[in-house]
Amino acid sequence: MTPSNSSPAGTPGTGKVMIRLENLSKRFPGQKTDAVSNLSLDIYEGEIVVLVGPSGCGKTTTMKMINRIVEPTSGRIILDGDDVTTTDPDALRRRIGYVIQQVGLFPHQTIGENVATVPKLLGWDKARVAARVDELLTMVNMAPETFRDRYPKQLSGGQRQRVGVARALGANPDVMLMDEPFGAIDPITRDRLQNEFLRLQREVRKTIVFVTHDIDEALKMGDRIAILQGPSQIAQYDTPEQILTAPASDFVSDFIGRGASLKRLDLSHVSDITLTQWPTVRVGADNAELLDVLRRSDKGAVLVLDDAGRPRRWVAPDDLDRHPGSPLDQIGLVPEAVVEPHATLSDALNELITARFSVSIVVDAHGVYQGVVDIDQITDAIRSMRAAAVARARARFTEDPAGTPVIGS
Amino acid sequence: MDFVEFLINRGDDMLELGLEHAAVVGASVLLATIIGVGLGVASYRQPRSREAILAVTGAFLTIPSFALFILLIGPLGLGFLPVVVALTLYGLLPIVRNTITGLREVDPAIVEAALGMGMSRGQVLRQIELPLAWPVIITGVRVTTLVLLGIAAIGSIVLGPGYGDLIFTGLARVGTPVAVNLVLAGTLGVVVLAVLFDVLFYVIRKLTTSEGIR
Repeated sequence: MTPSNSSPAGTPGTGKVMIRLENLSKRFPGQKTDAVSNLSLDIYEGEIVVLVGPSGCGKTTTMKMINRIVEPTSGRIILDGDDVTTTDPDALRRRIGYVIQQVGLFPHQTIGENVATVPKLLGWDKARVAARVDELLTMVNMAPETFRDRYPKQLSGGQRQRVGVARALGANPDVMLMDEPFGAIDPITRDRLQNEFLRLQREVRKTIVFVTHDIDEALKMGDRIAILQGPSQIAQYDTPEQILTAPASDFVSDFIGRGASLKRLDLSHVSDITLTQWPTVRVGADNAELLDVLRRSDKGAVLVLDDAGRPRRWVAPDDLDRHPGSPLDQIGLVPEAVVEPHATLSDALNELITARFSVSIVVDAHGVYQGVVDIDQITDAIRSMRAAAVARARARFTEDPAGTPVIGS
Repeated sequence: MDFVEFLINRGDDMLELGLEHAAVVGASVLLATIIGVGLGVASYRQPRSREAILAVTGAFLTIPSFALFILLIGPLGLGFLPVVVALTLYGLLPIVRNTITGLREVDPAIVEAALGMGMSRGQVLRQIELPLAWPVIITGVRVTTLVLLGIAAIGSIVLGPGYGDLIFTGLARVGTPVAVNLVLAGTLGVVVLAVLFDVLFYVIRKLTTSEGIR
């Protein structure tokens, strides 16, 4: 792969290469073939790069060579401009956060002691370590006063993984390596941890190498994805959008699997589309005002907002008849399908399918009503993404009208 | 003579012999622990030396204690010293074996996490592996102590200290009424010491094991 100086638009990186792997190979003792063979990869500062592929493709080995838990047989590792292939591995590892699937918390140490591991190794003084531990626990949504003195066995799987992340962030490393960090966690908790982690990453902007075998997790977490095909081959290294719309080979298409359109919904966010407005009234409005608003719309119910603008109830004319004189925030139905702008379209779709009026209500971080998403907007989004993909696929015909069209590439 | 009366008459003797017995066993257990844990730490990651050390320390246990005590008279003479050396040799196996088992049972993911955060091998051993293996190691020390309390009584054959004195005196007077009392008293002393050591180890284990792995 040729090193380039800028990352493509649409990714959060600064364009600076943070980790460069050069012709990296690993052959384990007693094996006849390389586990990783001659692999080169540039990883940009501030990005989450996901290594994904079938089992045995060398993704974990590749990641573990970055902090030399697995020593490369040949090749070079350049971290932030320094060749670290043969430097002191302990010093290297203290610069790199490390999270593994089994978490590997130290069971005989409290949560606070676990999180303090790297700062202590670096010889920070007590007060600084204590302050950092509290800061990190708060960062991963674990109240320090509640959890600091507990032991790992007293925590749930999801809580342990949070502590694992906090521990890896210990001395504020620029780089984090994460080996299937959410692999052993139930799907609902996994989804929540993924979202929490993405939110955290928006604040801390680490360079992250993330290994998974799950393409959906890769598409969700990755700013850029490297699909590994075998010990010596990166099938495609690109943004999730590009991988979905322009898979580089049959292998990539197969690996993405069916439902690429639906997967694309995971990449678009509610904030990317124009919201529809729904008729609303304030909680203090009288019946005449409500009926008037409803008459001027084509909907069957009005969304009642409280004084701060937060959605409180769906109220239909029938509700007014059934409860004459009741305040508007005590009749009708409580709105349940509520999403924030950073939710994916796929989240919004999930919500609206079961929702009362087939819409998801969008609120800002303070819960204030912004608009609604309905099924038409989702289909429009799918349609435009597909159109863009078709346009890209047909780009060759416009760029080079004389060229012979080739199927595949 | 009534046994209880016998014990009361020999009360001072019983206490003194008990302290001697505890001292010789205590010294041997301490030595065996230092050497045993050292051997375990040195060998637990290399299968070949691990097997060799277990075979040798196991072989010590098959030497009849009577014979070993007598063989040690030549180089070490009589009294405290040959007994401590013999007991230390006998005490190695449980400690070495439990040290190796305890260290090998530490979850590899925990060790990988520790190395991944930049701990050196020595730091991983001291801060992670040994504390986690500790409950298993101290169980080995406890087993060693119980075994040595019994064997120490035989040490009287080379004029070693402790309750063996009573037992061998009784042996010399077989047929007299006092013989049974002497042997019973010696045995009782060893049993009482065993109970006391067991309580001691229970307390030590409780105090030195992290709440997180209890």
